[in-house]
Amino acid sequence: MTARDERAPWLTLKMREAMEAWLFISPTLAGFLIFFVGPLCAVVWYSLTEWNLLSQQSVFVGLDNYDDALFHNLDFWQVVRNSIVFAIGLVPLNMALALALALALSRRFAGVVFFRTVFFAPVVTSAVAWAIVWKFLLQGEAGFVNQMLAGIGIHGPNWLREPDWAMVAVIVTRVIKMVGLNMILYIAALQAIPRDYEAAARLEGASNWQIFRMITWPLLGPTTLVIMVITTIGSFKVFDHIYLMTGGGPENGTLVLAFYIYQQGFQFFDVGYASALAMIMFVIVMGLTVVQLALRRRDT
Amino acid sequence: MSSLTLRNLKKRFGRVDVIRGVTLDVADGEFVVFVGPSGCGKSTLLRMISGLEDVTDGELRIGNRVVNEVQPAKRGVAMVFQSYALYPHLNVRDNMGFGLKVRKVPAAERQQRVSEAAALLKLDALLDRFPRELSGGQRQRVAIGRAIVGHPDVFLFDEPLSNLDAELRVHMRSEIAALHKRLGNTMIYVTHDQVEAMTLADKIVVLRDGRIEQVGSPRELYEQPDNIFVAQFIGSPKMNILPAGSAAGFGAQPAGAVSVGVRPEHLSLVAPEKGQIGGKVVISEYTGASSLLHIRLDSGETCLVVVDGDAPEADMKVGLLAGTDNLHHFDTDGMALRKSRLLM
Ligand SMILES: Nc1ncnc2c1ncn2[C@@H]1O[C@H](COP(=O)(O)OP(=O)(O)OP(=O)(O)O)[C@@H](O)[C@H]1O
Ligand SMILES: [Mg+2]
Repeated sequence: MTARDERAPWLTLKMREAMEAWLFISPTLAGFLIFFVGPLCAVVWYSLTEWNLLSQQSVFVGLDNYDDALFHNLDFWQVVRNSIVFAIGLVPLNMALALALALALSRRFAGVVFFRTVFFAPVVTSAVAWAIVWKFLLQGEAGFVNQMLAGIGIHGPNWLREPDWAMVAVIVTRVIKMVGLNMILYIAALQAIPRDYEAAARLEGASNWQIFRMITWPLLGPTTLVIMVITTIGSFKVFDHIYLMTGGGPENGTLVLAFYIYQQGFQFFDVGYASALAMIMFVIVMGLTVVQLALRRRDT
Repeated sequence: MSSLTLRNLKKRFGRVDVIRGVTLDVADGEFVVFVGPSGCGKSTLLRMISGLEDVTDGELRIGNRVVNEVQPAKRGVAMVFQSYALYPHLNVRDNMGFGLKVRKVPAAERQQRVSEAAALLKLDALLDRFPRELSGGQRQRVAIGRAIVGHPDVFLFDEPLSNLDAELRVHMRSEIAALHKRLGNTMIYVTHDQVEAMTLADKIVVLRDGRIEQVGSPRELYEQPDNIFVAQFIGSPKMNILPAGSAAGFGAQPAGAVSVGVRPEHLSLVAPEKGQIGGKVVISEYTGASSLLHIRLDSGETCLVVVDGDAPEADMKVGLLAGTDNLHHFDTDGMALRKSRLLM
């Protein structure tokens, strides 16, 4: 090797490695800037204007839109309440069901793949088909669900026509559609737990419940957190399901935040107000996520 | 404390016979080692004794009790797993106290028993650590400690040292021997490691394909193997097996002898003309205290010889001597023809 070759290169190794790293993340970074940061900035700007799509005029109004939503518009709080009810109904039900299914389907037995497929299939089913089928099943007196209930002596309500029952109906049908996703995540997590833990615990006299409580559940902690966060965010963002099942009705009983934003922006063309609502929703979801992560950190 | 009795024990997974009739007596306080090639069913047999696998057929007794249908936790056995199976989210104290906790032993007594076991295994300083903060040897000790805390009658070890490096293995081996001496419990120990088996065992059980090939003390298995499989499985490097014809030079053979076995350490090298049989050195492996020679016999077979000190170079012609006491004779089925029978 000549002395020339041994001279320090123009760029140090560290700098070259850093450049490579930037090169690798640049496509994703570009996408993130163009499709996330860009629109976010735009929405922030829109939310400070009075902009009606029909009149094609945009006027800067400061925080008026936020003031409207938070302090003058009674609809808004009703909508927030609906979203919270939806989330509180959906998240625990979804997670409990997902965990129960995962516990049952994480072992190997004949037909297990069939059952996993059955519970996962709704996740990849079109939301439209799902809603059409359930609207049909949930019809008043003649609906399949009420006929079944009548069979065991229960007089079912007219599910999608009464505000409170409509909320129950959209929650349950949404859980059934989406539970397969969390089930798969839980199955993966359960299968990652070495079988020897259970064997050791059983030898030491632990019952099934004790094994679950003292070993399985704590070891599922990180997965449970991820599932909780994504399910909560998903429940606040629910739109298509509401749009297709109830259109936010009856009596705004299922009018949730994302659907309300859509109404304001694309039905009433009040883009400024809709943007302000979107910002509020963004803050709520961010806040919830931060709280969940913090709670988890305190636990461990 | 308990003895153990296995009567024609069988295990089938689906249509595969894994354990095909094992009969064995283990005396109270005995240290029994299961050895055998990979997949022969050592772990399965151990798990059947523990109750983690149910018994397909046969009878299993611990003490005077038939335990075929007894729950694992009620058999009075504790098991140390190859993977240690320490609960990662619990510290050493809670790992060791887990069994007592699920059995609702009061906290004070739990504390005391954990401390006792920790003192015995020199784990006192580590009680608040988590498994991920321990070295391999320390984890192994915690796993043993967890077994001790429950005061079991019988300890079951499934290759407990195989994840440790060589030096630590030797050390832990002596600790386990000391522990056995001290506690006096019945212990059943599965291993791949010859030296572990020979040094720890009161009794070695050689398994192959779900059957017992031979049971005996380390000395019995080494000196009087019942068949070629055991003869070659016990001892390292493994015993040379030569066709009776090629080994005729070593001396008289009993009627029916088809092959002759002689251990590499029982052959000695002499000048070519003085040997009982002759050959040529093919490879000479120097290992420090001794050398391992691969010798091509004049009759064509390859034969291993261990020699102390200076070894001849490759390509040298040599002669081999074997004492008659050190020869093993086998019939067509590979079964040993015993010397006692030969003399009679
Ligand atoms: N749950 C099971 N289902 C089906 N076959 C099994 C099961 N467990 C073990 N086997 C089979 O039983 C045989 C014996 O397995 P086992 O684990 O007892 O072997 P081993 O002697 O402990 O081997 P190793 O020395 O590699 O640990 C193997 O052929 C294995 O494939
Ligand atoms: Mg094994």
